[in-house]
Amino acid sequence: MTSASHADNSGGAHHPSRRMPDHNFRYWIIAPSVFLLLLIGLFPLIYSLVVSFQQITMTDYDTSFAGLTNYAQLFDDARLWQSIAHTLIITIIALPIELVFGLAMAHLFLERMPGRQIFISLIVLPTVISPVVAGATWRLLFDQRYGPINQVIGWFAGHDVIMLWNITPHLVYPAILICEVWQWTPFMFLILLAALSNVDKSLTEAAELDGAGFWRIFFKIVLPAIWPVMAIAILIRGVDLFRIFDVIWALTSGGPGTMTETISIYTYVQGFQQFESSYTAAIAFLIVGLMSVVVIWAIRRMGLAK
Amino acid sequence: MNLIKRLGLTAAGALIAASAVSAAWAESAAERAVKEAQKYKGQTITIVWEAGLQSLDPLNFSGPLWEKLTGMKVKVVEVQTAEMFTKIMQEYRAGTGAYDALNVMPSWMPDLANAGALEPLDAYVDKYGYKDEFQKIAPIFRDNWAKANGKIYGFPDDGDVFIMYFRKDIFEDPKIKDAFKAKTGHDLSVPKTWKEFGETGSALTEILKPQNVYGAAFFRQPPYTMFMFQERFRNEGGKFFDAETMKATINSDIGVKVLTDMRNENKFMPPGVEQWGFVENLAAFMAGQTAMTISWPPYGRWAAGYGTDDKALNWVPKSTVGGKVGYALPPGGHPELAAGFDLSIASTSKNKDAAYLFIQWLNSEDISLQRVKLPTTLRDPFRDSHYTDAGYLALWPDAKDYLKTLKDASLAGIFDLSVLQTDKYEEVLRQAIGKLWAGEDPKVILDAAAGEWDGITKKIGVDKQKAVYADWASKSGAYPK
Repeated sequence: MTSASHADNSGGAHHPSRRMPDHNFRYWIIAPSVFLLLLIGLFPLIYSLVVSFQQITMTDYDTSFAGLTNYAQLFDDARLWQSIAHTLIITIIALPIELVFGLAMAHLFLERMPGRQIFISLIVLPTVISPVVAGATWRLLFDQRYGPINQVIGWFAGHDVIMLWNITPHLVYPAILICEVWQWTPFMFLILLAALSNVDKSLTEAAELDGAGFWRIFFKIVLPAIWPVMAIAILIRGVDLFRIFDVIWALTSGGPGTMTETISIYTYVQGFQQFESSYTAAIAFLIVGLMSVVVIWAIRRMGLAK
Repeated sequence: MNLIKRLGLTAAGALIAASAVSAAWAESAAERAVKEAQKYKGQTITIVWEAGLQSLDPLNFSGPLWEKLTGMKVKVVEVQTAEMFTKIMQEYRAGTGAYDALNVMPSWMPDLANAGALEPLDAYVDKYGYKDEFQKIAPIFRDNWAKANGKIYGFPDDGDVFIMYFRKDIFEDPKIKDAFKAKTGHDLSVPKTWKEFGETGSALTEILKPQNVYGAAFFRQPPYTMFMFQERFRNEGGKFFDAETMKATINSDIGVKVLTDMRNENKFMPPGVEQWGFVENLAAFMAGQTAMTISWPPYGRWAAGYGTDDKALNWVPKSTVGGKVGYALPPGGHPELAAGFDLSIASTSKNKDAAYLFIQWLNSEDISLQRVKLPTTLRDPFRDSHYTDAGYLALWPDAKDYLKTLKDASLAGIFDLSVLQTDKYEEVLRQAIGKLWAGEDPKVILDAAAGEWDGITKKIGVDKQKAVYADWASKSGAYPK
């Protein structure tokens, strides 16, 4: 008789010698997945951290320890801080516009109407387009020679207009914002439509009967009800906007000069055009640090961690 | 008798030996490459080539022909121009030997050669008897594009150069000539200086605007204009650096004048020209909407209608100016050998001899002549024999003028700044152009750009860069002589 059969006979579930193999076995089961996750997730992070303390460029593979040189350079790099400022400008302007437009449209489509499903499908279409394709398309739309936008403006103005949307300083940001808001307002719309659909109608109807106005009902009943979903949408779009790259790359390539260069574009230029690998790693950790602080603050502030 | 017999035998032997030697000499570099390459039958070599039209050459013509002649296969890795340098360097760092042969822009040569990514070719040139045919590459390309640190690292293989294209019918029209004289006080002629260009372009726009024709237009997007700035700046006498201190001197009065003139010229060019790239400018010229433009050699071929019926060129607008186009050197007389390509061997290749034989064959007199006549593949004439080839001269009625202009350009051209990390300096210039079109002051733009150049030089190392710049500046095509 083996020890296993002996264990079976003695009601093995409570036998300590059987619990131990089970306990280890579950770790063995998850080990490959954990190893894979560490390999593809943690290793690049650690490797980038190591690289950020070296002086590797594409033409000079200098892996000697360089201390905090790259991190010190961050503070002297005016172009870096300008690119962060550009990113914040776009985020601060685009996010509220997308939120307000998305909410207004969601409210509009809350009621039943003919062709509602078709309209919703059409509105959501821009979000499924690749951002770089959206940027390239808007670049063509804004083009002076071939684009229809200046032509339409010219019809209204009664004469030909010359508006170089991707070159003239006071037009480049409106061009980027138009494209960005066009593409991502539907995302807000879709999420907020779902949230608004779940607001308890008996509460709003009761408030109406009690004589509460639209804004009072909105701020006292609707907004608190949809806030958890809305906060998530704001967070997702905020992070997305901070990472904005494709649309601007296709529209202006960060120009004229560096006027619309965002932090993602600057990082790309440093890493993949200028080949400053170590410095780019330092920039990446700066962004990770900034984003972590902002996101943790936002999650606490919005009450999402409760 | 015996002596005579012996002498006769010796003479016969000498004759046979001389015949054998002369037969060996008569063998062309292409034939030699094919003969030597047959021992590598069944092997595959991988070559990096610019994606798009350029790579139709090895995909449809030279690759299949090489395989037919030698039994070697050619694998073409198509890479976008902007990513070629990165891919080549990344592969070199990885050291896997994934690439055997490379297309390399001459301005990358100092970086790639100093990093060790390219194989020096001198020994191969001697081993496979390519010296004579290498020498027959037009001197401007051979002397400026092939070498770094005194060694051959690439065979110049694409005669990229800026040419001015003008409408002969406009410049020869009596009514327009009269109107021009009445307006300017002098005869209409193709401008030879940038001052003349400004006057001519402006006056022609005023005269031809009712017919929706402008005096001139250029591609003005920063990547293209950066090359034009390099050309004009040096034609006007500008120097990029102080050779002693390596301080940037692009913000000199000459630099400011060039930027100021460039912006002023936009006033007589079509509205929105600042947005124009290669295709927009081509479309306007092909549609007959501009009287003058400057671009690379394919414009001249396509304007004449050569090869534009090919499916690969169906995106090229149909020419309405065939037979009406004249060719000239751009104002200043020293055109930019903008971009261009060399054929090189990757130092990490595991098939260096086989890869070398392929690029010698591609670059040889016989094969290169066929390649530069391919209508779709964008390779431009770069050998003395290309400019005088009877077959090329007969390709379209004005081909002789076209080739003469290309030959003139090959005698007077100046090549792109090529130092360590050239692209960083060029990126600053591209941004400067963007700021110029956005309306910033040229002096402010160039002062900032010079500051950035100094920062780049300092980071690379002033002495290190000074040596590379001195090597570049000593070449015949660095500054106009």
